[in-house]
Amino acid sequence: MGLSRRINSFFDDRFDTETARRFIDKQAHKRLPPHISWFHVFGSLALLLFVSQTITGILLLIYYRPTPEAAYSSIQYITTEVHFGWLYRQIHAWGATLMILVVVLHMVRTYFSGAYKKPRELTWVTGVLIFILTIIFGFTGYLLPWNQIAFWATTIGTESAGKVPFIGEWLLYFLRGGEVVTGETLSRFFVVHVIILPWILTGLIAVHLVLMRLSNLATLEPVGEEKPIPPGHGIPFFPVHVAKEAVVAILLLAGLVTLSILSPWEIGEPANPLVTPAHIKPEWYFLPSYQLLKYFEGPYGAVVGIVACSLPFGLLLFWPFLDRGKERHPRKRPWAVGIGLFGLMAALFLGILGHFSGTDVTLLGRRYHIDLLGRPERLMDEPTSHNPVEH
Amino acid sequence: MKPQVDGFDKVGSARPTRRGFLDWLISLCSLLAGLAMTIPGLMYLWPAARGGGSDNMEVEGADRMAPGQSRMVQVGGKAVIVIRDRKGFRAYSAICTHLGCLVTWEQAKEQFFCPCHAAVFDAQGRVVSGPAPAPLPAYKIKEVGGRIYVSPA
Repeated sequence: MGLSRRINSFFDDRFDTETARRFIDKQAHKRLPPHISWFHVFGSLALLLFVSQTITGILLLIYYRPTPEAAYSSIQYITTEVHFGWLYRQIHAWGATLMILVVVLHMVRTYFSGAYKKPRELTWVTGVLIFILTIIFGFTGYLLPWNQIAFWATTIGTESAGKVPFIGEWLLYFLRGGEVVTGETLSRFFVVHVIILPWILTGLIAVHLVLMRLSNLATLEPVGEEKPIPPGHGIPFFPVHVAKEAVVAILLLAGLVTLSILSPWEIGEPANPLVTPAHIKPEWYFLPSYQLLKYFEGPYGAVVGIVACSLPFGLLLFWPFLDRGKERHPRKRPWAVGIGLFGLMAALFLGILGHFSGTDVTLLGRRYHIDLLGRPERLMDEPTSHNPVEH
Repeated sequence: MKPQVDGFDKVGSARPTRRGFLDWLISLCSLLAGLAMTIPGLMYLWPAARGGGSDNMEVEGADRMAPGQSRMVQVGGKAVIVIRDRKGFRAYSAICTHLGCLVTWEQAKEQFFCPCHAAVFDAQGRVVSGPAPAPLPAYKIKEVGGRIYVSPA
């Protein structure tokens, strides 16, 4: 008897392996609705990135030291001394930013195909929670290198939490572990980043996947009129859809390594609590909030700004209970599609303004200064042939 | 005899049985025990007071500051900006009242500027423009034997 058969029979003699085998077989060969396409691979890509972040994160943990004295130099050590340390650090940093992008794309696909509607509301809600946790993951991980940009991004981020009505001050003190960002803050963020969030996210992803499998993938038919896929029809999950996912997964991994090599994340200057660097800007996924916050002035401006920045997340979370229309096809949901497009465009527009604010840009041969509120101002200091000659 | 369900004799009767009462008592005790274990845990998470540095700081090299110049010092762990003008020294909290970045002193314009969201304060710490909701709090300056000390007002 071969080794594998002996192992199999060991388990067969002790457990009901037949039921497990049938379950795995059923899940693997599940038929998916016929409109399932390349747009339906983002969820598994996000999962792949989560696994990649977990593995690279564990590797980084071996050499990382979470104290203000040692954090920055431990990152330098990882980058310059540890074998392949630079690679794992880069893949972790790029993986974080790509994971947010992939989760957003996954949500965009789900939103526009109306897949969040009954009976899949809770799948959507757990998905939005995963999205929010992914952002918090990014935020807490950002502080860990203890460099200037990290220190001040955390100062602003936690100060924003301090503007939350009623509990703000309490929350600020709790998050920072004191009045200002110190080593206490670093410890707190470290624990949240490496222990608390990974386990909560693992649990949420498990619930999300189980819910997804229990209620099957949505078709484009209206709520209550979804027809079961007839036997022999639909797209088999394995091998057809898995093959698509594998192709995109390999492209993603190749992209990760390419980005890591061609566009590495700089460590920058070590944190200095007495100097805020000029022109500091947050990561791209915080740029819309960063820009929006500038427009709210006056004694309650910051509070209103924080509420305005949190509102879209609240809307997303409860969206399936607000949009109760039965149609799923985007052409039959002009309002939902309109609101979705408006939200995306607004975020993109604010993000672009935030990116260029406070810089000079050249457009069609003319130079403009974009002020901090995003207003362009033509720069006339350079003499051109059209200028009248001064005497 | 039919077993009692939910701790009641029969459907519709509100008279608790001994078993129902015991169930209730066990639930209550479990809840209390849970709270007794959770509350110290939550208190553990609340930041303990830790010395944040002296509350009365000397401005090092204040005598070398020319009028119009500024210097950053930490008072009680918080950043304070000291400026010197023709009349003497003044000090304000350097922490922008908007979202906590440190303001810089712009000598030419005689104003404080926050690099994060473009808040501008005048030389007395009052809001001129931008998103800051409140002025920069002033700090007390004391001159002792030619040395300059800063402390919370």
